[in-house]
Amino acid sequence: MVNVTKGILVECDAAMKQLLLHLDETHALGNKFIVQDLDETHLFIAPEYLEVLQTRIDDLMDRISFPLAERETD
Amino acid sequence: MSVQQRTLDCKDLHEYLKTLSATVLDRLYNHPATCLAVFRELPELSRLYIMRILFVDQAVPKAIMGSWVSPNSAKELEDIVKLLTELRLWQEVEMQGGLKGWLLNPTFRRNLKGALLGGGNEWSMKPPTDADPKARGIAILDEYAMGRWECVLHFMVGSHQHEVISSDALQILQHAGLMKKEPGENQLTITRDGFQFLLMDTSAQVWYFLLQYLDTATARGLDLIDCLGFLFQLSFSTLGQDYSTDSMSDGLQKFLQHLREFGLVYQRKRKDGRFYPTRLALDIASGPKKSMLNTMAATSLNQSSGYIVVETNYRVYAYTDSSLQVALIALFCELMYRFPNLVVGIITRESVRQALRSGITADQIVSFLRQHAHPECYKEPPVLPSTIADQIKLWAIERDRFVYKEGVLYNQFDSQADFEILKNYAQERGVLVWHTTHGRKMVVTKEGHEEVRKFWKRHSRNGSM
Repeated sequence: MVNVTKGILVECDAAMKQLLLHLDETHALGNKFIVQDLDETHLFIAPEYLEVLQTRIDDLMDRISFPLAERETD
Repeated sequence: MSVQQRTLDCKDLHEYLKTLSATVLDRLYNHPATCLAVFRELPELSRLYIMRILFVDQAVPKAIMGSWVSPNSAKELEDIVKLLTELRLWQEVEMQGGLKGWLLNPTFRRNLKGALLGGGNEWSMKPPTDADPKARGIAILDEYAMGRWECVLHFMVGSHQHEVISSDALQILQHAGLMKKEPGENQLTITRDGFQFLLMDTSAQVWYFLLQYLDTATARGLDLIDCLGFLFQLSFSTLGQDYSTDSMSDGLQKFLQHLREFGLVYQRKRKDGRFYPTRLALDIASGPKKSMLNTMAATSLNQSSGYIVVETNYRVYAYTDSSLQVALIALFCELMYRFPNLVVGIITRESVRQALRSGITADQIVSFLRQHAHPECYKEPPVLPSTIADQIKLWAIERDRFVYKEGVLYNQFDSQADFEILKNYAQERGVLVWHTTHGRKMVVTKEGHEEVRKFWKRHSRNGSM
């Protein structure tokens, strides 16, 4: 029989997918959120985790970026 | 949900005409100026076709028309057939002996002939009989036009030292979705579309604005056909020439006053009986594609064009004293210093992200910086350091490293055949988002799910019988 699941298809590059897998394994969002690991660049996740995931990624991006331009004290 | 970047939809003339109803279009072609403007904007091949059949007063068989292009260009022929049909310039007719042929729209034929050969009713605007004692030169017209137009833009960016614009203009801005009133607030605030609008070049802005104006024309008691006809007439007029308002209807007079407010025409006094079209108006029929305004930049008035220098260290120097231009730069720059004729800012990740959040795209920022690059920058290409252009794009891409699509996952199919059937069904319906044959998994859109589910039920019931 066919199994049907509602959720969100996530498309991203391979590196970002590994990050998501890591977040999933470590229960970083409180629980597991990946429904299916589809292929290299696609994941299927539970819809209720979308928002917290997005803020999480945004935070991470903020942390790993550094100011490119020198600025005098303002 | 999946927030895809939406760019402002700026239609060109033909796309706009296609949105009009058939009856409106037919009435529109009653005007030679309109026919000529539409004809002028057609792709070369379609113009050729029209010229060849313009003086043939009967339908021409499709087969003959098809032989006018080489077989390799069949695709192009298909395109122009589609375009001309959609614009209702010609229609398919059944000829004697059951042959299919094309017949040029008779109204269009008559008026295009009129426009090309003269004769018929006078269609261009007439200069007044007496010369203007206070004639205006082209330089003054240019200055006036840009002044008026910038007034609208100023209002949008909210630099308040300038005069307020009329309620009509306000309505259009709101209708166009460029500005909106937040509930519980008195002031209009600029929207995502509005930000994108600001970074477009002037002729595109005017065209977009006018389209929105025409949308509401009927609501303000103006006749859409008259207005469009008049706009096309304007686009064939001569810069620096004055025209008489004597023969204009009340509706058109009202329309003229609106155009005056936005700087498309110049009128010294309302009751003057004459007006001068400005470059903004002459540009109209050419739509957002090509424009005279760009050539204008090189000439007299727009000394402002070309005032930005961007260095590889992300610093932006803008040689300007216009608060509008400063406000535009501040959309995606952090301003650091301000001098009477120079503003220094810096492009940072934060400032660019701020701009992206408000709906501006990376391409728009980059093309804005290129468009307004200081003449000095052209001496040593690239005009905009490629590191800066790349970095701005990278910052944008960083925001959407993930694409989220709501959908429904189907997996654990019993057989490859079942999977293929369902996959093909979803694909035909255009609701298939992703699939892999390898593990027999597929994702369909949320909207398509119901349909696919029903199909599957039907299919499996039949299968079990």
